[in-house]
Amino acid sequence: MSVLLETKAVVKQFGEFRAVDRVDFRVQEGEVLALIGSNGAGKTTLVNLISGLLTADEGHILFRGHDVTKQPVKERIRAGIARSFQLVNLFDQLSALDNVALAIFSRQGKTRRLLSLADADRPVWQEATDVLALFRLDAHARTLAGGLSQGERKLLDVAIAYALKPKLLFLDEPTSGVGTREKAPIMDTIVSVVRSEGISAAIIEHDMDVVFSYSDRIVAMHQGTILADGTPDQIRRDEKVLTTLIGTPEPPRPSQGGG
Amino acid sequence: MDIALIHVFNALLYASVLFLIAGGLSLIYGVMRIVNLAHGNLYAFGAYVSAWIIGYLSTSVAVGEAGSGAPTWVLLALLPAGALAAAAAGALLEPTLLRPFYKRAEEYQLLVTFGLLMIIDDVIRFLWGPYPLSASVVFENFGSVTVGDTLYPTYNFLVIGVGALAAVFLWAFIYRTRFGVVLRATSQDMRMSAALGVNVNRVYVQAFTLGCFMAGLGGAIIVPSQSAVLGMGVDALILSFIVVVIGGLGSLEGALLGALIVGVVREAGITWFPEVELAVLYLMAAAVLLVRPAGLFGRA
Repeated sequence: MSVLLETKAVVKQFGEFRAVDRVDFRVQEGEVLALIGSNGAGKTTLVNLISGLLTADEGHILFRGHDVTKQPVKERIRAGIARSFQLVNLFDQLSALDNVALAIFSRQGKTRRLLSLADADRPVWQEATDVLALFRLDAHARTLAGGLSQGERKLLDVAIAYALKPKLLFLDEPTSGVGTREKAPIMDTIVSVVRSEGISAAIIEHDMDVVFSYSDRIVAMHQGTILADGTPDQIRRDEKVLTTLIGTPEPPRPSQGGG
Repeated sequence: MDIALIHVFNALLYASVLFLIAGGLSLIYGVMRIVNLAHGNLYAFGAYVSAWIIGYLSTSVAVGEAGSGAPTWVLLALLPAGALAAAAAGALLEPTLLRPFYKRAEEYQLLVTFGLLMIIDDVIRFLWGPYPLSASVVFENFGSVTVGDTLYPTYNFLVIGVGALAAVFLWAFIYRTRFGVVLRATSQDMRMSAALGVNVNRVYVQAFTLGCFMAGLGGAIIVPSQSAVLGMGVDALILSFIVVVIGGLGSLEGALLGALIVGVVREAGITWFPEVELAVLYLMAAAVLLVRPAGLFGRA
């Protein structure tokens, strides 16, 4: 596996507070990675630096070998970095299908054409329909996004990011605010799409069952630095992780699936 | 019975033109959150341009023959010139005059568009003088049909047809095309659309141009039957406000329903209670504001 994304000693400072402190972070091609850590550990800031919502104060971010440290969000999306949002950010008054189509249009960068014939856009609607089907939302294609359940909104959010055809997909708490019973089906759907397409995914998640079940590798952050980095089994036995993050020296109960 | 039918036609005629004007006003507000007070005058501008071109070509001077001007189909083909002129004005005005004010408070936008209203008023007066401009030759050449025992102008059916077609096209445009998706997304959340890579400035100028085109089209198709006169813009603006207050500012469905309601009430008013016709319209708008402040189709 080759390195898809690499950060080299990136720093982000908010006043006196160093949210991200000289972090070297890597994502390999095709892996599903989980980013864990308590609130304020710097996970979301790191993802914001990589996706371009924030600009790094120091250090470099390399994506497929190119330095993207100073690039604006749009260019990073074009390059293949996409993310879903922690606060589900959908166009509530657009149908699920329109939400996905919009992402495809913006990926194609042809929104300037005022009068494109319906025929020219037929492949887009077809693709949008296919994307919805991948995420098991095809039954809701014509439903306004505002009328979907919380779990469906989470899936649609990921579907939109997926429609941007990323190489690297950041998922910010894909199961937060969703009932326990809904979590597994959502993660199953997302991870199976990601794996079958060979997309690298980095998941920020607080639910340790989800983390240990679905990721190939886990990166634990604490106070702006990387505390530990390894396979789920390594992380499960890591003393530092157990004491700082999970708060108890007992290993967490083994989860079903095992990742 | 025939009289009733004629009242229905008149109401539809009125609703068609009102829909074009108010639909444009509503579209612009829906996307850009700007209440364009100059909108009525863009309608007037469209009417004047069309009347001027038709008046010029229909006189023998232009064509050089004695007695007759250009044939009716040529005049009809040139009628949309007013709509194109209004669209061109919109494409010019949005980036230069409105764009600098988006980040300011709404009062500034109202002041700018009010200033624009007066400027267009004076431009019309300057270009075409204080007298009405007629394009009635098109209206007359269309002749009339008999509805029962009464004669009814054929041209009015063309206006109704254009209004209905415009509504269908707009609906398809907004809900079935790429541009429509981008437009609705921008209308709902401008910043998120920009984050997805939508060029918001371009969407704004396109929406404003389309809105002005609709106003200009309204002016262009009505001018053969009514002439272009000073003050027609402000009259249209006030009625459009009643339409969008009833239907809901920013909603095309609302503009359509509002235009139909105002068209029917106005026709009924002219026939049965001419003294209080406008008052009834204002009262209806007030009643809607009391019961549903966002209008029948408005977003709260």
